[in-house]
Amino acid sequence: MQALRTYFAGIDAGSTYTKGALVDDRGALVETTVDMTGINIVTATKKAYAQLLEKAGVSEGQVAYVIGTGYGRYRITFGNTQVTEISCHAKGAHALFPGTRTVLDMGGQDTKAIRVNDRGEVVDFCMNDKCAAGTGRFIEGSARVLGLSLKQVGTLSMNSSNPVKVSSTCAVFAETETQEQLAWGNKLEDVLYGIHVSIATRSIGLLRRVGIDPEITFTGGVSQNPGMIRCLEEQLGQKLNTSPLTNFCGALGAALFAREKYENTTGTGRSAA
Amino acid sequence: MAEAASSAPLSFDNFDKAKRMQGELTKRYFQRLLTAKEQGRKVGYAFVMANPIELFNVFDIVPLYPEITSLNISYRGGAPPLISLSEEMGYSTDACGYVKMGVASVTEGTSTSIGVLPKPDVLLLTFSGCQIYIHWWEQLHYQTGAEVLVVDVPYVRERDGKVPSHDVKYVASQLEESIPQLERVSGKKFREEEFRETMRLSAEAWDLWRKCIEMGKLTPCPMDAYFEAIYYMAPITIARGTQECVDFYRFLLDELNARAEHGVGPTKKEEYRLVYEGVPNYPFFKNFWGLFREHNARGVAATYPKVAGMIDTDSFRINPDRPFESLAEYMIHAYCNWNMPMRTDLIEKYVRDYRADGVVIHSIKSCRSFSMGQGDIREHLAKDLDIPTLLIESDHVDPRYYSEAQTRNRVDAFFETLALRKGGGGN
Repeated sequence: MQALRTYFAGIDAGSTYTKGALVDDRGALVETTVDMTGINIVTATKKAYAQLLEKAGVSEGQVAYVIGTGYGRYRITFGNTQVTEISCHAKGAHALFPGTRTVLDMGGQDTKAIRVNDRGEVVDFCMNDKCAAGTGRFIEGSARVLGLSLKQVGTLSMNSSNPVKVSSTCAVFAETETQEQLAWGNKLEDVLYGIHVSIATRSIGLLRRVGIDPEITFTGGVSQNPGMIRCLEEQLGQKLNTSPLTNFCGALGAALFAREKYENTTGTGRSAA
Repeated sequence: MAEAASSAPLSFDNFDKAKRMQGELTKRYFQRLLTAKEQGRKVGYAFVMANPIELFNVFDIVPLYPEITSLNISYRGGAPPLISLSEEMGYSTDACGYVKMGVASVTEGTSTSIGVLPKPDVLLLTFSGCQIYIHWWEQLHYQTGAEVLVVDVPYVRERDGKVPSHDVKYVASQLEESIPQLERVSGKKFREEEFRETMRLSAEAWDLWRKCIEMGKLTPCPMDAYFEAIYYMAPITIARGTQECVDFYRFLLDELNARAEHGVGPTKKEEYRLVYEGVPNYPFFKNFWGLFREHNARGVAATYPKVAGMIDTDSFRINPDRPFESLAEYMIHAYCNWNMPMRTDLIEKYVRDYRADGVVIHSIKSCRSFSMGQGDIREHLAKDLDIPTLLIESDHVDPRYYSEAQTRNRVDAFFETLALRKGGGGN
């Protein structure tokens, strides 16, 4: 009789979305999931975990270790332990792009610049101060006042040829400024791209504080926004590593830590790899 | 059973009595302060950094440090009503929390969580390292009518900390010239012998305090040289120049020696040795400490407990035989009166001498003179010297600027990085 495979899960309870990732005993990514965090973080993490297992066709008993990360990591009742999303994003980014030395993680309310070594371990990091300017929330606020979806904001901004300078450094005031810029007759795509430039500038300031060492991997929810990728690449003068999976770097890193932790605890080593 | 009990290891409480002694000393000080007026004594307001309190002692002027009253009020959760009152008066949210609480505290009809603070009879303006304080004292003068005694303290300009003799003379002569004003305010004559005696007691306390903080060099470190030292630093400011102050530091030194002998400290074990820079967060002090204590981290050296005086450097020594000059040297070498390269060098020296694993910088929104340049210090330590350095931000008195979730995230990630460095595998 063939033994069932063993899996490891990572749940990233972020301020806006909860993400999940499942890896197998060789560390290969098996499945991911994402859903809104909402007001009840405990429910959101349980739901994400259940969805993850269902999508992968894996039973709970097959999961040997679960690590929680993100702001809600201490609220993940079914997890074995917690690791900060800073370490998890570094690990996840390095797993997807092994040449990664700098990670820019842009999430709902945090932007992090992380310098990593050749094993994907955090050497240094910097985060935005207690202000949502320069984070995903800045784009969300502007999208809301314009009645656009997040996806539309990114895509429409790509048509810009003459970006408007958005001078505001406050996510709340940016909403007002967006409307003002449109009232003055500026094109929608130019205003939208201007918002991206404003955020990118602040993020690059963070990156400079830890040092910009290629390759740079762009992670977090905002890494799925083509306007932001273009804007950062233009300002940095270099390509960024991104993929549909960079949204899951936190959860993926957590799942990989879960696998390591399990191996270290049980002494199973890496014979399966 | 009795045998088992007697052989059981002594708990940390047995080695944690100095904090209680400090609490009692502070309580007596507040009592003396709050009853000063009814006992016919004068009250002099002074800053913590660079205060020549020994002069006040001679004239029996009770010192009130608005920084200390404010931090105590904030520690007890009493800051918000005072901060709100100052903002109603027109102070910006960005203005210094100490200034705002200080101004609100002397406003008619204000009672604080430590009582109704007495109005000043004299405002000793030394403003070493902080220009905003000039305007604070100016405001207090407008509010209370108390006269201001200005002692201008020049900045330490040279990288090596050398101070020209004319700077020392300049400050010392101002101190001597202040005597007639203090005689007039207090109604008491200056007595040189008393001045020398309080200076002698001050010097003795400084020497003992230096020995206490240098015990951070031991491994394991018998104390937390940041979070615990914040309690221990109070007597050197509020009771300097008295026998009570000397007795406190003798007791503390004995207690720390006993801790070292029995191998006990403020955490279960010592896993990390940290150097701290910056003013702590007082409204959430114990939670803030807990973020580090739960990782078994001990502060081994810190700059903030030296705001009372840079005693662990060789910049000054109180000397009863040259009282005005030695007081002047103490005042010039206030931490925020040092230039930025000197401050950076000191932190680097602490990391080396105290064999620290990393540096934590707590930047506060209120204080430009402390927080200015901390980004550069971080960058220098992390990039040029490869010392793990964490920069976190909140405020020292205003609870609105502290977000535990965000701070915890950064602190936990810092320890994950330190664990990897130490080969512990981190996660």
